[in-house]
Amino acid sequence: MTRITLENLGRDFGEFTALANMDLTIADGEFVALLGPSGCGKSTTMNMIAGMLEPSHGEIRFDGRNMNGVPMAKRGVGFVFQNYAIFTHMSVRDNLAYGLKAQGVGRAEIARRVGEIAELLQLSPLLDRRAAGLSVNILQRLAIGRSAVVEPSIFLMDEPLSNVDAAFRAVMRSELKGLQRQFKQTMVYVTHDQLEAMTMADRIAVMDHGKLLQVGTPLEVYNHPADTFVARFIGAPGMNLLPGRVTGGDGAPVIDLGAAGHSGALRLEQTGDILFGFRPEEVVPDANGPLAMQVTAAERIGPRIILHLAAGDHRAKVVLDGETPAPQQGETFRFSVPERSVRLFDAQTERAL
Amino acid sequence: MNRSLSFDIFRYAAILTFLAISLIPTVWMISMAFKPIAEWQASGADLTWWPNNPTLDNFRFIFGESGSELIVALERTAGRPILASLLAASFGTLIAMGAGTAAAYGLSRFGYGGNLPLALIQLRLFPPMAVMIPVMIMWAFLGLIDTWYGLALIYGIVTLPFAFWLMKTFFDDMPREIEDAALVEGCSRWRVFLRITLPMMRPALASSALFVFILNWSDYLIALLLTTRDWVTIPVYMASLSSSMTGQLYGAKAALGLIAAVPPVIMGIAIQKQLVRGLTFGALKE
Amino acid sequence: MTQPIAAPASATPEADTSEEKRLGLWLTLPAQLLVLFIALFPICMQIYISLTDWSPLDGIPWYRAYELWIGLLNYVDLAGDPRFWSALWRTCIVMAICVPVQFFLGLGLAILFVDDFPGKRVLYSTLLVPMMVVPAVAGYMFFMLFQSGGPVNDLLSLFAGRPVTIAWLSDPDLALFAVIVSDIWQWTPLMFLILLAGMVSVPQDQQMAAVLLGASWTRRFFTIVLPRMKTIIIIAIAIRVIENFKVFDNFYIMTGGGPGVATETISIYIYKVTQQELIWGYVAAIALAILIVLSIVSALAINKMKGAK
Repeated sequence: MTRITLENLGRDFGEFTALANMDLTIADGEFVALLGPSGCGKSTTMNMIAGMLEPSHGEIRFDGRNMNGVPMAKRGVGFVFQNYAIFTHMSVRDNLAYGLKAQGVGRAEIARRVGEIAELLQLSPLLDRRAAGLSVNILQRLAIGRSAVVEPSIFLMDEPLSNVDAAFRAVMRSELKGLQRQFKQTMVYVTHDQLEAMTMADRIAVMDHGKLLQVGTPLEVYNHPADTFVARFIGAPGMNLLPGRVTGGDGAPVIDLGAAGHSGALRLEQTGDILFGFRPEEVVPDANGPLAMQVTAAERIGPRIILHLAAGDHRAKVVLDGETPAPQQGETFRFSVPERSVRLFDAQTERAL
Repeated sequence: MNRSLSFDIFRYAAILTFLAISLIPTVWMISMAFKPIAEWQASGADLTWWPNNPTLDNFRFIFGESGSELIVALERTAGRPILASLLAASFGTLIAMGAGTAAAYGLSRFGYGGNLPLALIQLRLFPPMAVMIPVMIMWAFLGLIDTWYGLALIYGIVTLPFAFWLMKTFFDDMPREIEDAALVEGCSRWRVFLRITLPMMRPALASSALFVFILNWSDYLIALLLTTRDWVTIPVYMASLSSSMTGQLYGAKAALGLIAAVPPVIMGIAIQKQLVRGLTFGALKE
Repeated sequence: MTQPIAAPASATPEADTSEEKRLGLWLTLPAQLLVLFIALFPICMQIYISLTDWSPLDGIPWYRAYELWIGLLNYVDLAGDPRFWSALWRTCIVMAICVPVQFFLGLGLAILFVDDFPGKRVLYSTLLVPMMVVPAVAGYMFFMLFQSGGPVNDLLSLFAGRPVTIAWLSDPDLALFAVIVSDIWQWTPLMFLILLAGMVSVPQDQQMAAVLLGASWTRRFFTIVLPRMKTIIIIAIAIRVIENFKVFDNFYIMTGGGPGVATETISIYIYKVTQQELIWGYVAAIALAILIVLSIVSALAINKMKGAK
């Protein structure tokens, strides 16, 4: 129910810049994932939105209202901690009622709202259990319920699934997404797991080294990475990037990829050194293809085969479905990349062209 | 954060006030130790809070050097009681640490001596005064009264619970993989314990030993009961520094008190991090 | 309580087992012997002597104390010994004053120290000094402080504006007050140390969560911090109660239990009977009675704690 605006937001810790000049607007009711490796500044950003950390410069606005200096208790922010920070010495009911009691809500009202939220989250039969010893998905629901019951306008989640074992994550992901739809709150979700970001978020903000690199829907980020970091970081395996050089005259330039061959004719204005990018999944095996690389390893993972390719200094990975006849280790793999799958990056700036 | 500034002011004010009050006794003793006789005998309106003419006379006096203005000479000087305190506390520590470390390892690794944790806590629970009659009889029977080793033996037993519990929590914390690796290499259990475990535990052993030493060094009651003359320890000897001729020899007592107080304070600060663990029988590890 | 079980996953279990058995036995043997030496034998001796009227001055060795057999008479005497009961009562009063004062002072200090501020380390170390001073020396310090011409009165004169000459240690009530002050001075730091360690270990994110839910400092303190410190508070108080029950050194040095019996605690009482009246048969009876009571209390306490877990 709140639009969040971050403007030129930054935070330094002494010499170290944890976050530099971040601009981002999160729409009312939107689910945005802050995605990046550890130390990229995503948690710093979230802590500043929550008010646990004061920005070194820049502004945070909720619905246009400047939040700098507003104490965290007054921001109307619900926070779900990495380990849920459930008050394990209390009952489930007391956990849910904690925020309402702290805000001086009347007894009857507390009972009603706790009852409602418990119903919604299927916690009703557990209300009188001690919170210690509950299973992790119940803890997650409880953590969300405890924040949701005070009706925050914004939900912040700090890697809530990182302590959950892999098999259970899919369940938790869909449950989380469902809950967000029910509450319709603006949600900021910090994670280093691209799968979580891709499956749940409306938009993803990819960050690295304290900088916001790209904001977009999961598909945009996947299909049109803004730079080589995003290209490599998103996707498993990430995008292949082969250094090359644009040759040939106007009309039909060709990219010389050295030992790997050369691409077909492309329409582009750029000349000189570039990085030739393509998704491992979008390679087409083609006996007459213009590209050829040596297979150094072939892994079969379930129904898929991942080929590790090398040619000169070039390294690439290719994902084939199980039915395609796959070359053996040591053989040469010839392939082509459809033009619509080619992404080019400037070799110097590493930005998308 | 305006509130935190006023809180900071309150915090410093409160802590410094408490500290000022809590330092008065210590400061007073230090001051007395360096006062010449005229100053430490002063009272009432003549009292001085800091020595006007600081001197080491009090220290010279307790070590038997005359030159002090006091007419009395000490029948016995402080050298011997200091030696007694050192010997009894050190060897007591050795006994407690030896038996305690071995037992802690035996329990932590092999599950032997499961009765010890509780038995030792109970040992700690009882006032020493309530078991001293038989101890005095036994010590007399064994000829251990008024010997430094007799005192060391009882110190070793009294502080054994601390040594045991401290070392047990340290052993429990130590990863077993390293020992297991050495076992697979074909070392015997004994060798592993002596050559691998103990050297790795050196810091833990050192801080535990210091802790136990402080406890032994601090004893008064047991020494009062088990020593009579030759091997009285510092606190017991201190009481003899008042005679019917001179009254309380404040300066001399303060000087001796300072000598007794300095080692445990330094050691205590050195092992600050382990103090909580030791005092709570390892229930709390900072 | 964690009872570790030996379960090293080793390559050759059979050879190891016998070796480990031997080693485990040898390692724990010295401690077992020492405990036995100080527990079993003395307690038997104590029971024996407590049934006699033996004194070391009687000129007969202790094992022939049966010649002075008086049965349970010592215990009967004990039940009607007003000095014993008053010493016990006084010990409890001292405990009832010292422990709460130390607890609240320690808790207050711990609150002030729980987060970081410049100078924390130095102030912390300095605060701990009193508990490391040898208790007998502390007793002597306070003996000096509370002399009628001493510094305490000097300070009071300063505030009162006229010479104050209170005879602290010769007035029964004031003497008790003085020894209690010395105990509080010495052991508040210990309370502080333990409570601070406990407070620091309260999970930070739970407190953050409470802040984000709008809880005030007071509410957080009473609903999160204190409940989470429960075990540690119990431990800290138990330690002080136990140690306070044994209190001897500083009391004895400051007042010798006097004036009269005004500051006579149970340990001082037993000591005096041992050293001055020398009726060891009676002392053994007192000591044994205390041992039995303490054993029962501690067994109950330990059982209750086990049950709570």
